[in-house]
Amino acid sequence: MSHANDRLFDHKLAREWKLKKSRAEKDKRMTLQEAVATLVEDGDSIVETGFAYVRGPMAAYWEIGRQRKKNLVGIFTPGGMNTAWHEFGGLEGAHVAYVGVEMRGLISPFRRGVEAGTLKIYSEWSHGALALALRAAEQGVNYVACKSMLGTDIMRTNPYVREAKDPWTGEPVCLVPAMYPDVAIFHVHHADKYGNSRIWGPSVNDTAIAVAARKVIVTCERIVSSEDIRSNPYQVIIPHYCVDAVCEVPYGAYPGDMPGMYYFDRRLQERVVRIEWKTKESTKEWYEKYILGTKDHYEMIQLIAEEEGMNVLEYMKRLEQLSCDASYFGLGYWGVGGERDWKYEEVAKRAI
Amino acid sequence: MSEVQYTPRELLACVAARLIKDGESVFVGTGLPLVGALLAKKMHAPNMMAIYECGAVDPEPRVLPWSVSCSWTTYKAPIILSMSSVFGHSRAGYADVGFLGGAQIDMYGNINATCIGDYEHPRVRLTGSGGANDIASLCERVIFMGLHLPERLPERVDYITTPGYLDGPGARERAGLVGGGPWRVITHLGVMGFDEETCRMKLISYHPGVTPEVIQQFTGFELLIPDDVTETPKPTEEELRILREEVDPCQLFCF
Repeated sequence: MSHANDRLFDHKLAREWKLKKSRAEKDKRMTLQEAVATLVEDGDSIVETGFAYVRGPMAAYWEIGRQRKKNLVGIFTPGGMNTAWHEFGGLEGAHVAYVGVEMRGLISPFRRGVEAGTLKIYSEWSHGALALALRAAEQGVNYVACKSMLGTDIMRTNPYVREAKDPWTGEPVCLVPAMYPDVAIFHVHHADKYGNSRIWGPSVNDTAIAVAARKVIVTCERIVSSEDIRSNPYQVIIPHYCVDAVCEVPYGAYPGDMPGMYYFDRRLQERVVRIEWKTKESTKEWYEKYILGTKDHYEMIQLIAEEEGMNVLEYMKRLEQLSCDASYFGLGYWGVGGERDWKYEEVAKRAI
Repeated sequence: MSEVQYTPRELLACVAARLIKDGESVFVGTGLPLVGALLAKKMHAPNMMAIYECGAVDPEPRVLPWSVSCSWTTYKAPIILSMSSVFGHSRAGYADVGFLGGAQIDMYGNINATCIGDYEHPRVRLTGSGGANDIASLCERVIFMGLHLPERLPERVDYITTPGYLDGPGARERAGLVGGGPWRVITHLGVMGFDEETCRMKLISYHPGVTPEVIQQFTGFELLIPDDVTETPKPTEEELRILREEVDPCQLFCF
């Protein structure tokens, strides 16, 4: 088996794989456990989607942790809490544009891994350049010439990009090759059973990633009918033919932000990033209790809710409501405070 | 008359806000730049247009967001583009100011957000560039905000994540970079700019209670100190009121 890095820029391999994918409208629904078990293989490269902690597929990442997948190679533009995999054998190396949670700070397991030399950084990027590498794959071009990263140490610590002269003007440009990750997992608001996926809020790099990646899992807040998607295709960002599995996972971005529906669980994120994961020992304790010690995402949320002594899902919905009334998000009654989100009440009841 | 009381971070936010002119487009990084941009918009620059790397353009956040990408940041944005598009639009010429933070900045305005110490064996691994490199490569001029300590303002940064003037005059052009480069550095001690000829960092104003000598002591390289340096004007009561009541009422950033 080749190393993930040998496949990462191989456009022929990526095309061969995609030629074999079915174009038919096929029911791709399965459980998250099944999707992760069959589509995420040890040693795969896996690219972050959404904005890592905003509309990130956290339930799927925790499931990868539970199934103890080994030696994944992360592509982080940006990357967030899933870098904790490293201390449990799940993350061997990374291509990095950004790993952290902005003002909440650095992610300690990632930091410890790099400082100790156990987590390999294969290449440094800027967000813009890594976005272009994925976009190049989507646009069907071998590489793009851009004006990012020039003159900096990033050029020196990224073996995949090259400086070249623009053949027309003679100016220096940075050549960024098209990138084809092994796996991408998306969390979206709505998907039909074939995989057509609709979102609210920023799509970030998701359309490009869906086309670039070989294997694609979509987790969604709700599965909707194909008619629903076909009658309003305007926020559909992932086409069905890219998708291998569709899993209905309400609150799948928890403890991250899901635009128009729920905000970060700020209390939990702050505590985990700043305190619980500060040392290797405390990270192990947390991870064993909340990830390895629970059977699924909802058992984890239930455990957190019990310890917090509050309905965390209600709290996140309230936070979201602070700034976003549903009408402005165009979510109508699907979104925060809506009448028809009965399903979320159900899930909330199950979780509390 | 009683003295206006404020914290160092509040001063930083006010100074930053004043540097944004009405009608400009500003590519906003996370943290204090977010606060400065929101304050400017609520004060003298209602027509300022903020751009965020998640793709949101000109949103109207009601509450101070926690991230440059979250739903509070994108609230009421008339359009949300993809990440590669917003950087592309900056390259095309639609971004006037880039507004950044980082761990270290050197005398030529190069910023480090990658590692402290040797890259192969870092003492501290930081976040990496994020959008900072693109913002500083592509926006017309760049404002940096951070704390002022000798190790944070070294002669050379440990790793150039984000280009300033690289190694001096003409280097940005030779490297093929597009934007004009670093323009202002705002710290909790003063405001710095860059000498036109040498591209070296120079003092523009020192904050109330600080002297140019103190600033030099807290700088890891020889700072150019022209004769015409002045004291930074204190935050006004109006600025502080808007900052405390409207922009950051929970003191998330300005504590």
